[in-house]
Amino acid sequence: MTDEVGYLKAQLEEKEKDIVALKNKLAHLEKSNASVLELYEKVTPLTPLKAKASLSNEDIMRYSRQLLLPELGVQGQLNLSKTSVLVVGCGGLGCPLAQYLAAAGIGRLGLLDYDEVELSNLHRQVLHGEENQDQAKALSAANAIKRLNSTVECIPYHLQLSSENALQLIQQYDIVADCSDNVPTRYLVNDACVLSGKPLVSASALRMEGQLTVYNYHGGPCYRCLYPVPPPSETVTNCSDGGVLGVVPGIMGCFQALEVLKIASGQGSSCGQQLVMFDAQDARFRSIKLRPKQAGCAVCGENPSVTRLVDYEAFCGSAATDKCRKLNLLSRDQRITVQDYKSIMDTAEPHLLLDVRPLVEVDICHLPTSLNIPLSSLEYRKSEHIQLLQESISQLKQQMEGDCRPPVYVICKMGNDSQKAVQVMEKMSGSEVDSITVKDISGGLMAWAKRIDPTFPQY
Amino acid sequence: MTAQVTVLYFAKSAELSGLKEEELVAVPTPISSQGLWSLLLQRHPRLCVLQHQVVLAVRQQYVAIGDELVALGDGDEVAVVPPLSGG
Ligand SMILES: [Zn+2]
Repeated sequence: MTDEVGYLKAQLEEKEKDIVALKNKLAHLEKSNASVLELYEKVTPLTPLKAKASLSNEDIMRYSRQLLLPELGVQGQLNLSKTSVLVVGCGGLGCPLAQYLAAAGIGRLGLLDYDEVELSNLHRQVLHGEENQDQAKALSAANAIKRLNSTVECIPYHLQLSSENALQLIQQYDIVADCSDNVPTRYLVNDACVLSGKPLVSASALRMEGQLTVYNYHGGPCYRCLYPVPPPSETVTNCSDGGVLGVVPGIMGCFQALEVLKIASGQGSSCGQQLVMFDAQDARFRSIKLRPKQAGCAVCGENPSVTRLVDYEAFCGSAATDKCRKLNLLSRDQRITVQDYKSIMDTAEPHLLLDVRPLVEVDICHLPTSLNIPLSSLEYRKSEHIQLLQESISQLKQQMEGDCRPPVYVICKMGNDSQKAVQVMEKMSGSEVDSITVKDISGGLMAWAKRIDPTFPQY
Repeated sequence: MTAQVTVLYFAKSAELSGLKEEELVAVPTPISSQGLWSLLLQRHPRLCVLQHQVVLAVRQQYVAIGDELVALGDGDEVAVVPPLSGG
């Protein structure tokens, strides 16, 4: 009898353990299913983020190494958990920024990007993987963040920030991080932050340099106080044509995360009236003390002229993207297609092919017969390059005997610089060099790769 | 009075001037911040596309380009910092 009671009790205990194990397994599965994220295509109202009364045992263990810091402590951690941050751009800056904010236990992350993941993003946009190509960056980033910390609420926005949606979106967040890649978006985010009173932690990176400032924070300046007039679009270099070493936005994005965490936890940022510059080549940080916000500023000043969001693409004279736009500087008879050029090549018609890209790009790929003289050397009449050009043209002229205007075809990557070069060469024709007929190869080497030679590299 | 200063060029200004750093041996002082900027433009005319888009700093302090008088001392650092927009 007692044996049987003992046996049954043991059995029951065994089954109860099984039940607990099954329940845990179910809960785990349900949790990971719940983390299948919905992609937001438009701005919708969010429920307010609730403040936690205390940290759970799991929180204490997870964040223990930062809880030990007197600068953060339990209160700082609780502050992080009730803070929402909007990350504008999930690229080279936004990826490391979002990663560290999530790891540190920020409450809510809005992850905004209108773009899809491309192979050429992966060297710097470290939340995305090979399998995420063609996926919305916002979703790819949110999924990576969820794997890192499932307790962080992630809202992926697959949309272009605009004058119509920016205020509604930014009003719902406590801190905004500008990780965008173009000038119109920087002005738009700035104005929306000023109009809704949000601190703007802004960073940028290009080539081997980075910059960081916290705008609209504790009486400090806004972006417009510093740069009231947008730069002429032709003077702006972006990462897709200027290049960037991936770790540089990585460092700047981490720096942004640091300042966001200091503001969110309650310590405060020390970059509100400072422009911090990072020079990756010299491994040096420098910082410039800025003036306070300007009474005459168009948006944060005493008599602002900007009291609602405007058309930022018109204001800046450029599109809110870092993709290259196509110039149209020449008439139709000044241009030939890549197919035309292919037949010129095939019939071995005497001509000069001039590649006007910078040397570093010519090293990546080039057509075998091309002469390389960068556009800047033509524009600034760099003597050794002009001499080389003169020689090549007069050789060609001798070779052609009868014809007095030897043909010169100009090529570059996308067909923008080649058009500028044609304009420069037309001015030179007949004076600085022999008279020539100069034409641009429309669409450049990327069109050549797409339409003529699929084995030609694209970049 | 003149001063010997080091000019640091960042971002686009380094590209346009072809330099990251240069020494200017005899800069008049005091000089207006506009005068200082004009002096840099004379040396590097290509910098003119950055007009109105640049942060000028002397001894790591922002100076607005205008009438403000700047006193320079030997060894002072002048920085030319156009904004970066990439990310
Ligand atoms: Zn302002």
